[in-house]
Amino acid sequence: MTDYLVGQVQKHLPHIPVEVVSQGAEALVFKTSVHPYLPNSISPYLDNHDEYIIKFRPPKPYRHPKIDASITKNRTVGEVKFMSKLARIGIRAPSLISADFNNGIIWMECLGQTLPNGEVSSFKNWLWYLERNEIPDKCVSDEVRVVCIKVGALIGRLHLNNMVHGDLTSSNILLENFEPALIDFGLSSYSGLAEDKAVDLYVMERAILSTHSVFSDKYNAWLLEGYEQIHETEFGKQGKKKHLETIRKLEDVRLRGRKRSMLG
Amino acid sequence: MTVDLDKYVKPGRDYYIALGLEGSANKLGVGIIRQPVGQLSQTNRAEVLSNVRDTYVTPPGEGFLPRDTARHHRNWVVRIIKRALSEAKVTGADLDCICFTQGPGMGAPLQSVVVAARTLAQLWELPLVGVNHCVGHIEMGREITGADNPVVLYVSGGNTQVIAYSKQRYRIFGETLDIAIGNCLDRFARTLKIPNEPAPGYNIEQMAKKGKHLVNLPYTVKGMDLSMSGILAHVDGLAKDMFGKQGKKLVDEETGELITAEDLCFSLQEILYSMLVEITERALAHVNSNQVLIVGGVGSNERLQEMMKLMIQDRKNGQIYATDERFCIDNGIMIAHAGLLSYRTGQTNDLWNTVCTQRFRTDEVFVKWRDD
Repeated sequence: MTDYLVGQVQKHLPHIPVEVVSQGAEALVFKTSVHPYLPNSISPYLDNHDEYIIKFRPPKPYRHPKIDASITKNRTVGEVKFMSKLARIGIRAPSLISADFNNGIIWMECLGQTLPNGEVSSFKNWLWYLERNEIPDKCVSDEVRVVCIKVGALIGRLHLNNMVHGDLTSSNILLENFEPALIDFGLSSYSGLAEDKAVDLYVMERAILSTHSVFSDKYNAWLLEGYEQIHETEFGKQGKKKHLETIRKLEDVRLRGRKRSMLG
Repeated sequence: MTVDLDKYVKPGRDYYIALGLEGSANKLGVGIIRQPVGQLSQTNRAEVLSNVRDTYVTPPGEGFLPRDTARHHRNWVVRIIKRALSEAKVTGADLDCICFTQGPGMGAPLQSVVVAARTLAQLWELPLVGVNHCVGHIEMGREITGADNPVVLYVSGGNTQVIAYSKQRYRIFGETLDIAIGNCLDRFARTLKIPNEPAPGYNIEQMAKKGKHLVNLPYTVKGMDLSMSGILAHVDGLAKDMFGKQGKKLVDEETGELITAEDLCFSLQEILYSMLVEITERALAHVNSNQVLIVGGVGSNERLQEMMKLMIQDRKNGQIYATDERFCIDNGIMIAHAGLLSYRTGQTNDLWNTVCTQRFRTDEVFVKWRDD
């Protein structure tokens, strides 16, 4: 059935070679070697001139065509706006190249490298790679600690700008020369509430726990360390206050669990 | 290792029989099931001996109130139990246990049915087994359809959940943040004064088949969860404008034709079911499964089944399992079935522990009879 979906993206992007990278419930991610409007040699602001990413939200046959069109358009516009705002405030994320709202296509920069085992250098794959191929000490080395703190700081900066990712998992963070970048903003939103930020952190915590269970305590502690640091260094006293608020809320959220128990 | 399900079989018998009582909402159901010894499978199946149900129906424009529903259950429970026993051709002495719905549901109806269950248990000296209503639906759906480890979409008047099994719990992946889907449909049926006979949701479905214009309604999926109260308020508002004192006329933007009540039903169904299918698809992707089982009263809706089918076709080896109204709509047999499974693993309730609760989450139940 993937072939069928590839056929659909080819209908909108004729003569462009694409290769499936991943398939989620909502969207497909492709890799391509073609820039939509510039020759590869003159896209000066990008590091990677050879590969680009295309994210495609295919039409869902079960939905009424009108509902489908409006959902696809709204989500694509939302994601593009979020990415462009990230670029303005300097949070590392793929740069936008072009977008086709009605057909649900976003063309963006290709971030990340290939790990020695051939996988994309997402935070998850990297940690798994260390876990599988190296002596256990390496999994909790200073190198990992530094990266975790950087990831925490990145999330902190996002939250300080009143933006919430909505789906923070270790596979939604890419490492580019050990500098983390965020991807996948399908569930992102804008909110200054400590509640929403705390939920965002909680989702991250749970994701780490389920995907990297062996060292999850250490990883989570380092992530929160980075999260705290950025609040203090970049936003001073006010940042400290905000941090305290979010962390208090996070403790509440942890107790509550993602699902409220309806006992009593 | 598989769970030993035959520690409690009566001497000299190679089967179990249980009676189940269900009354968590406006349906009063009594069912009697027979399970052969050994693991249940496609070749070793449970047998439905009887499945009797009586529904409390209210006049158009009115919902069922707890007090009146409880009275209906009290009035009918003895007659229904007698009918179930005679249809199944069994007596109290043949039974292994009495199963009842312990929750979730409306307090008053639950209470009145559990009184009947306690009475029977003491009369016939049988153990009592409290059953979670949602788990009853899931287990019955699995038994009837033969789905072995599906993602379950449980949609009814009081519940809307996407559930997947993992490590002896039915875990909730996504659910409604406010009202249930059946509640949303029923309340809209009340606004339109659609008859409650045989079911408000069924009548909306029939009207929706005649609708063709799509009215703009909010679409509120929040990650894995969904919210429906805003949609209901919106479509209620439209209906009140159209059919209230103002008599406002709405026209379709493209064709210029008048919007009818049928169009509203059609739009409401389309938007609500799209949301359900979307969160189900998310759950499928998340747990890497390709089977969907739809249970609960709203699960008998044909449009929902059709949409789910279209979604599942796009997945590799995707399969959809749905049951018909005998097992979709609340019934006693599912309570008997799930209760008997739990009885066979030694889980029974002492008399003091048979208090019903309106809030009883699906993931609180320890699924001792499965260990995959």
